[in-house]
Amino acid sequence: MAKRFDVLGLIGLVLLVAIWQLLTLALPLISLPHPAHVAGRIAEDFIVADYLLFYGLPETGLLDSMLYTTGNVLIAVALGATVGTVCGLVTARFDLIRSVIDPVLLVLGTIPILVLAPFFLIWFGTGRTSAVLLVAIYVAVILYIYAQRAASTLDPVYEDAAYTLGASRRRVIWDVLIKGTVPQILGGIRIALAGAWGLEAIAELLGAQQGIGKIVQVLAGSIDMEGIFAALLVLGILAVVFDAFTARFFSYISAWSVEARTGGG
Amino acid sequence: MARAAGGRDVIVASNLSRTFRRADKQTVTALDDVTFQIGRGQFVCLVGPSGCGKSTLLKLVAGLMLPSAGTLEVEGEAVAKPGPERGMVFQQDSVFPWLRVIDNVEYGLKCRGVGKDERRKSAEFYLERVGLSHVARAWPRELSGGMLKRVAVATVFANGANVLLLDEPFGAVDYVTKRNLHDVLLALWTEAGSDERRTVVFVTHDVDEALILADRILVMHSGRIVDDLAVEAPRPRTTDGLMEPTMVQHKHVLLAHLGLEDTAGAAGAPVSAGADP
Repeated sequence: MAKRFDVLGLIGLVLLVAIWQLLTLALPLISLPHPAHVAGRIAEDFIVADYLLFYGLPETGLLDSMLYTTGNVLIAVALGATVGTVCGLVTARFDLIRSVIDPVLLVLGTIPILVLAPFFLIWFGTGRTSAVLLVAIYVAVILYIYAQRAASTLDPVYEDAAYTLGASRRRVIWDVLIKGTVPQILGGIRIALAGAWGLEAIAELLGAQQGIGKIVQVLAGSIDMEGIFAALLVLGILAVVFDAFTARFFSYISAWSVEARTGGG
Repeated sequence: MARAAGGRDVIVASNLSRTFRRADKQTVTALDDVTFQIGRGQFVCLVGPSGCGKSTLLKLVAGLMLPSAGTLEVEGEAVAKPGPERGMVFQQDSVFPWLRVIDNVEYGLKCRGVGKDERRKSAEFYLERVGLSHVARAWPRELSGGMLKRVAVATVFANGANVLLLDEPFGAVDYVTKRNLHDVLLALWTEAGSDERRTVVFVTHDVDEALILADRILVMHSGRIVDDLAVEAPRPRTTDGLMEPTMVQHKHVLLAHLGLEDTAGAAGAPVSAGADP
């Protein structure tokens, strides 16, 4: 099964590059750079990108930026997922707390990042904190909804059964509520992680000292399409690689569930 | 009243009531001033039409719900919350999908701090008794509905509860599986010897199931206990045994309570057993 998907995925990638190549024949290079040139730029800028020095940044390259962006994304997902999951599970069991938290988190989740970002940049500066907190908020909202739904749909009979077998309240929370909702929560984390890369890039675009988004912002000023494409491609590859790893890891953890067996999410 | 000879009563309910507030603000009385005693080692079936309060009664004994009025004591103590001395097999599948079969059977013992080796031995013993040794390491999703019921039964027996509460446990399985599950349950229940048998309260709406299993049948209707039958037929109860005049008589009475036969027929001589002196 997995083998066939790999082959099909490869065909898809080859097709994409072919279409890209074809389009470069029709469009001027200034608006759509050549795939080979972009690949060359990635290699050239990987360790040290000279043009960044020119824009007043410290000596750095795509690798450093990748590490910075990846670090931010992972911290934000860990932080947001923890807060969101805990709130989601608690509110699923306590209606009173739910009626307090529901409007706050759900309203927060509908505010576009472009509106929220300036405030965070003023409050927390252009360092890591702003970007991490911004991304963490959206991750938390997604996980809040996923965890809440997972706990609400978990049949109460499991909790009753645990109590009649002699489980303490703490055990019921860990052994039933958390273990029973893990597959759905992990599915939510996967979706949040996929979205977090884009949000992190936007947060960096709007104000940061480094990162993939910062490179894009710098290069956009000089309409360096090759460089922008190279940075975006690196970001896309990061997202795909991390998704593949988390998918594999999560389906191992959720081996008991029907979802893991059918490959769904 | 059909009471166990000897041993004192294990379950004592006095003027027990339970009401619910429905979403439309109407108050519904699920259990209405019920008084009964159940003796040690008895196998009692609660029979009644759906909505008669039998599941509510079982949940009260389990401690998953508290009474609105009246008192309920198990082993001389008022029931305030669920506990491992009152094991329950639920109508729905309650086997944890996220634990392997053997870990499910061990779960209650684990909760009470029983050592790893000891609880594994106990779980293996009961899995063997219900005929599931070969799937000990399987995930529950890989098992059929009947097998999951066996796991649930093994789990409550392994947990060592003195009182077993079964809420229409075999309602959703096919006839052949149900008969096999009866055998499994009765084998586990009788093997302890008549002095140490666990007390069983088994809720069902299936008259034949009640006649096969029970020492005593409590009939419920509209939140009240309306009849109390002692079933003294010897075990194991064969198909022929169920056709004995007394059993047929019981069946007529039960069917009448469920509204399937008119009361006159039930009170008088059973029609089908008429030829049998």
